Amino acid sequence: MMGRPTATKTILEARASLLSGLRSFFEARQSLEVDVPAIAKAPASDPWLDSFTVNDPAGLHVGYLLTSPETYLKRLLSEYQCAIHAIGKAYRANEEGSEHAIEFTMLEWYRPTSIRPFQAMVSEIQDLVETLTGYGRPEVIAYSDVFEATYGLNPHQATTDDLIRFSSDLLGSKAAASLDLDSQLNLLFATEIEPHLTNHIVIDFPAIQSALARIKRDGVDSVAKRAELYIAGREIANGYHELTDAIEQAARFDEDNRRRESLHRPVVPKDDALLDALTSGLPESYGVALGVDRLLQVMTQSQTLSECMTFTGHL
Amino acid sequence: MASFSTNEFKSGLKVLIDGDPCTIVENEFVKPGKGQAFNRVKIKNLKTGRVVEKTFKSGDSVEAADVIDLDMEYLYADGEFYHFMMTDGSFEQHAADAKAVGDASKWLKEQETYIITLFNGAPLAVTPPNHIELEVVETDPGLKGDTAQGGSKPATLSTGAVVNVPLFIEIGEVLRVDTRTGDYVSRATKK
Repeated sequence: MMGRPTATKTILEARASLLSGLRSFFEARQSLEVDVPAIAKAPASDPWLDSFTVNDPAGLHVGYLLTSPETYLKRLLSEYQCAIHAIGKAYRANEEGSEHAIEFTMLEWYRPTSIRPFQAMVSEIQDLVETLTGYGRPEVIAYSDVFEATYGLNPHQATTDDLIRFSSDLLGSKAAASLDLDSQLNLLFATEIEPHLTNHIVIDFPAIQSALARIKRDGVDSVAKRAELYIAGREIANGYHELTDAIEQAARFDEDNRRRESLHRPVVPKDDALLDALTSGLPESYGVALGVDRLLQVMTQSQTLSECMTFTGHL
Repeated sequence: MASFSTNEFKSGLKVLIDGDPCTIVENEFVKPGKGQAFNRVKIKNLKTGRVVEKTFKSGDSVEAADVIDLDMEYLYADGEFYHFMMTDGSFEQHAADAKAVGDASKWLKEQETYIITLFNGAPLAVTPPNHIELEVVETDPGLKGDTAQGGSKPATLSTGAVVNVPLFIEIGEVLRVDTRTGDYVSRATKK
């Protein structure tokens, strides 16, 4: 029979219990659950995110399916200046595999705080894992420490020429030479480091991977104030000490589009609504996005993501 | 020349890597939340049988290998080549060298059907059926009455293969053998 659910009843029960656990966790922390649209006027600018385009029946462009609720949540944060969270569907075109799906459930939360926001974010992620997953409190490690331990190089100072000898082993020299610094780092991290992260929060990413995180000086190096949670060798959540400077934000949009151009990927319109929100004032805050299906996958020790999704494959 | 994009990758796909025909054993899509996507692939080289891991940038293309599997009947060996004939009624013949036949040589029996893998039209590999029935041409005398309990002895089959068989097996008997493991399965039912 076609079109049957892919999740077992047991998985559905675990899923329902995880969703209610997440809601209780944020309710206890005075966070307001918000429900945002699935369609936005501007797509994500990240060079490697592909948004689905939404057209009306006449073929007229309506907008894009959200790759994350970020734009709406930041606009809410700017307006109401309070802790908020959303649990809903996110959509990413061209992402399909045993750990990926084009439509998935994302939890995203923002908390305004001016007291050591980055540390507060890391400990809130630790609390969440400890409270809800059965994995215990994640260990915090610096990106540079884990990268240096594996490759013997400081990732904040490494150049594409330094990294190419490692990526050539994986891709062959011709394909490796076509990668920029960001992709080299991603490839090396995903291949040799990520599989060994059992319950870890990696902090302080290379500045080139800042996306919408702040960049801070750490000794001689510039680091992106990003924190990523990995459980059982899988990327589960990604948090930022959020950028609040509208001018810097506009510059990052331009930079993303320049990289898209150089990668021969489509240039995207700027998210003016988000820029307006930043201009009118985003509080000092952090934000975290978490893949609910992936978290369920590691909690239930399922082989594939699709076993943890109610339906897959759009049958 | 046809080619496959990484998003068409799946197990069993035949591709050309560094000039060698290969088959994809396993394909894994790898993508950090914010980064470029890759495909990490396990590939079996059909010439050497070796399995290697290789990574591709998602979206890149790989040349397709002109590899097909065909059913053919084994005819004879002439000392240099092993000759097979198509079973589709075309009577088309193909000659495989010892390298292509490899370990399958000890399972070659006339009129039996084998899978011949052709690369650019020439035999690349020969796969015997999972089970084959062969006659015992040499083994120590059987122990009368001992038909139940353990113990085994080597037996040479008509193709030259040597398999371990129960003690009660005698010369002239036809045995069913698993070609994947080289294990004795049972006595073949008398025809």
